[in-house]
Amino acid sequence: MKISPETLNDAALIAKVKNGDERAFTLLVKRYEQTVWGFAFKLCRNQEKAEESYQDTFINVYRKIGQFDSRSKFSTWLYTIVANNCLMKRRKRKLDSLLESLDVAPDMESEDVQKQLAGWDDSPIETMMNKELREQMDAAIQELPSDYRVVFVLRDLEDKTAEETATILKLSIPAVKSRLRRSRIFLRHKLHSLMTA
Amino acid sequence: MKRTNSHTMAHIHTLSCGKVYEHLCDNLDSQLDSESCRRIKAHIKGCKNCSALLDSLKKTVTLYKVHPAPKLPGKCRQELFAVIKLSGGKKNTTR
Ligand SMILES: [Zn+2]
Repeated sequence: MKISPETLNDAALIAKVKNGDERAFTLLVKRYEQTVWGFAFKLCRNQEKAEESYQDTFINVYRKIGQFDSRSKFSTWLYTIVANNCLMKRRKRKLDSLLESLDVAPDMESEDVQKQLAGWDDSPIETMMNKELREQMDAAIQELPSDYRVVFVLRDLEDKTAEETATILKLSIPAVKSRLRRSRIFLRHKLHSLMTA
Repeated sequence: MKRTNSHTMAHIHTLSCGKVYEHLCDNLDSQLDSESCRRIKAHIKGCKNCSALLDSLKKTVTLYKVHPAPKLPGKCRQELFAVIKLSGGKKNTTR
């Protein structure tokens, strides 16, 4: 009996790729390209860079599939490759102290903080999504250092658990949590001026 | 009199805003039901500042979730396979 490769699970498909089966590799690309593309684009919010990252990622998969430990989850390995592509291009440290300062609770009584806390416009998201806001969102997320951005994207946009995010990025869970907190607060502050009714 | 701060009225005995702030972000929609979680939720319910902050954090995440991304261009896969062929086709894994 012949089994169609399309129906193979990841482990069986990857075993074939490891044996040099080109068709299996094509299927693997088809199976995961939307994941890679979506994640890459959310990380850089830039079409050209996302295309580059898509290509680099699958070339890495092709070359390094022999190193993949079949007992682990393929998507985790894949996310690590995409993230590394993105993180390599990083090193802008000046925002780090600002981000760390976000751990300290603000003085809720102060005038400034009150202004910062003013309630956000509660109209539906769809009606607020205008060009200005989209541009502000792009600018804000790109301002975030990439080792923070990648945590925000994995946890909040790709819905990975803290544990899987930690595995993908080879970080401790507390590090994932603190980067996520800081990222969310940072982005929230960046959007604040556009969001108050 | 200046504005009343609801959090200083109702929940002074349970938690401070500062303590809540430290945990606010761990899980925005936490279903956890531990003692500390219940106290945090109770505080947020009664505190205008903390609930405004939590709402805006949730909204920030939602905005990014619905922020549109373009479709994967069809040419990408073709280009990928062209590059792989150029670089020598058969891969150099375990042989
Ligand atoms: Zn409070």
